[in-house]
Amino acid sequence: MGDVGFFEKTDSRENEGNLEESEGKNKERNEEEEEEEAVVFYRQQQHQHATFLGLDLNLQPPEEIDFGNEFWGFDFGFPEKQTENFTESQSVVLGVDLERKERSPSVEIVSPSSIKTKRSPNVVFDIGFPEKETENFTNSGSVVFGVDLKGKERYPDVEIVSSIKKRKFSVQEKGKAKLDGFGIELDEKEILHDLMQIDPEKWVSILDSPVEEEKPNYIEFQGLTRDNTVNHERADLLEDFQEFLKKEKSKRQHEIAKDFAQRLAREVDSEGDLLKSSSTKDGASKSVIVDDDDKEELGTPFSIAMEVIKTRISSSTSRRKKFSSEGLGAEFKWVPKNVKRTSFMAREVPSLLDLSLCALAKNAEAIVSLNHVPDMLRHKLSRSVSNSRKMDAHFLQLLASGSPTEIRVNDCSRVTEDEFTKIFGCCDTRNLIVLQLDLCGSCIPDYVLQDTLAHSSKSLPALVTLSLNGAYRLTDQGLNALALSAPALQSINLSQCSLLTSSGINDLANCFESTLRELYLDECHNIEAMVVLPALKKLKCLEVLSMAGIQTVCDDFVIKMVEACGKNMKELIFASCVELTDVSLKFVGKNCSKLCAIDLSYLRKLTDLSMRYLANGCRSINRLKLCRNGFSDEAIAAFLEASGSSLTELSLNNIALVGLNTAISLSKCSRKLFCLDLSWCRNLTDEALGLVVDSCSSLKLLKLFGCTQITDVFLKGHSNPQVQIIGLKMATLSEFLNVLEPREAPLWYSPVDSLH
Amino acid sequence: MNRKDTVKLISADEMEFVIDKDAAMVSQTIRNMLTSPGGFAETELGEVTFPEISAVILEKICQYFYWALQYSRGKETEFHIEPELTLELMMAANYLHT
Repeated sequence: MGDVGFFEKTDSRENEGNLEESEGKNKERNEEEEEEEAVVFYRQQQHQHATFLGLDLNLQPPEEIDFGNEFWGFDFGFPEKQTENFTESQSVVLGVDLERKERSPSVEIVSPSSIKTKRSPNVVFDIGFPEKETENFTNSGSVVFGVDLKGKERYPDVEIVSSIKKRKFSVQEKGKAKLDGFGIELDEKEILHDLMQIDPEKWVSILDSPVEEEKPNYIEFQGLTRDNTVNHERADLLEDFQEFLKKEKSKRQHEIAKDFAQRLAREVDSEGDLLKSSSTKDGASKSVIVDDDDKEELGTPFSIAMEVIKTRISSSTSRRKKFSSEGLGAEFKWVPKNVKRTSFMAREVPSLLDLSLCALAKNAEAIVSLNHVPDMLRHKLSRSVSNSRKMDAHFLQLLASGSPTEIRVNDCSRVTEDEFTKIFGCCDTRNLIVLQLDLCGSCIPDYVLQDTLAHSSKSLPALVTLSLNGAYRLTDQGLNALALSAPALQSINLSQCSLLTSSGINDLANCFESTLRELYLDECHNIEAMVVLPALKKLKCLEVLSMAGIQTVCDDFVIKMVEACGKNMKELIFASCVELTDVSLKFVGKNCSKLCAIDLSYLRKLTDLSMRYLANGCRSINRLKLCRNGFSDEAIAAFLEASGSSLTELSLNNIALVGLNTAISLSKCSRKLFCLDLSWCRNLTDEALGLVVDSCSSLKLLKLFGCTQITDVFLKGHSNPQVQIIGLKMATLSEFLNVLEPREAPLWYSPVDSLH
Repeated sequence: MNRKDTVKLISADEMEFVIDKDAAMVSQTIRNMLTSPGGFAETELGEVTFPEISAVILEKICQYFYWALQYSRGKETEFHIEPELTLELMMAANYLHT
């Protein structure tokens, strides 16, 4: 045969992937020798694209084709045949009817031209493995089809190409597809086993075979050689196939049920323990009642959402069995946009305001006066200056001069005691409504306070919001003095004031019983939660309670607190209060229906039950912060679907199980989402993220620290022009710190004079 | 310049700056002034007065408008601001919502 020359040519070009000549030759030969079939195999470099018989063979990144399914689904329109020996290869080549003397290790050529009934009796087919032989083709055209069966193993030198567009399936082909695939599946294991032994280097990709309208004649199935036996076999196989499907589905659902049962069982145990421990500890009455409603009620928002998700899972797995190319991905198909249109991704023009703020912050020491500058601009400027570590006495003086209404300083660490005394000694604080002096530890011991801000009971008459975050030298006396000077106080932030004790807080709470709305006591380790509980329970208007990092916060505390004050509660921060379990969340869900923000970072003991309670009880959460919790993908997805539509900020940092379900729910439900943190969620793929980012139209900030599985397919392929992605490439973070607007109002959730 | 495509911005000290409408539309405030229905003088005459913004600042603002147009068309350069202007520029930018 004239094949030798033909093969030589392709061999030499195998690395180029250039098929023009071979095609030409092919065609010629087809016309001449109509008995031949050939399917072209070629080994391609990744960037090549070739046309084969005029069809455009697009190279698609392997992720987009689920090869396992595609193969079995025979989507390629190959004349379907198997050889027994094809089990030895990981790719199988379809359809050649050439006697080949030369065994090319990597290339096979098969022309996809019409398969004639008249076949050459000797079908030798060679996939390039020396050990291969075909024996079964005596009465039919050889069929060799090659597929990279396990697309997961990606060989850099192999590309699979399919020209999916122009195939037409004959009915029989389609019918055959299922059946054949099924048949294949039955023997899948042994096939795969054999396939695995193939040396991957020699691989081949096949793919396109043109549409063959022809005959079933050439279809062989598993060594069957008679056409008439095929139909008979098919019917049986079809039934088996359906049974197999059902079994799989029930197995799957059984597993899900088992999983839930296990988890619920564990929950009851831990509650039982809690009962014992709390009763022995307090000696007083027990506080926890274990209800019977731990099993999931029907009709609650969470359970409805859970159903949706479960059906999504099981239907996708059953669909997968049907060899369609879609799996859970049937719910969506995210294709990255064409990279050429990059003008679309041009960043927004920086506003003049931002430019001038930056310029000002850089030259902060040269500013002479901030008179007439409105408060919001002052805050922005102050924030910029603090972020660039330039906040010093000079700037503080600028802020404090005149008769300021709001002073916000994020970082006072460079100011000394004397400077502070000087500045605030003569500051006119009559109109001061907001005073924020964060990280002021070194400059505010008690005596300085008493000399300046707290020098008389009329010194801060209008003060509504006070923040002394980090005032580590402040003691209970200093706090008391402050409390006396600021009768109108409604919000106080005493985070990291480590000298404060429970009695100081008790006095504070007694002082502002009916007016305090916001209380931040993060990391005040000298405060014991149960000791301050009676006083805190009296704060009826409390809207924000933050006790992050205080280890004595226990379920008991939370339960009693929310039972007393839960009606108005809008924000709860319990990050790192590791003793908390699902029971506290249960009561939060019951009592805090107006909850807008909750932080449950690092609470390892929480399970999916907490998500359920939250979803059912707190329907209007705006900001949810989770970090290193043990929630499952399904639980989070169910929460999002049930109660996640008003979310503006969501953090799922290091929730390891987060995956496709969450991504789909996010894309469905989170139109208002502004800031999303998916750091360390390694189960998310490029497609899942692409779907999320393209669907969340308000998304401005996406954090992806630690997501090493994300590639340029997502980074360059998503279509959201305003989102900023941080965490994947080295970039200065300070530019992103300005994405979130600073607070404008003194109080988070209420207007200032809403008390009267 | 064609009359229809330009607007006139008038500063506090009565200096007049005639710029393209596209450039002026970079400012959300000016855009609203010029496009809002209701028969305002600004819309009709194509003139906007800024009694609080001085000429120097207004000039810089007009420069910013053209720079912004250029930036959005792909030419990304740096916009330099003289230090003595920054404070007032910031406040004017805030007012003009740009």
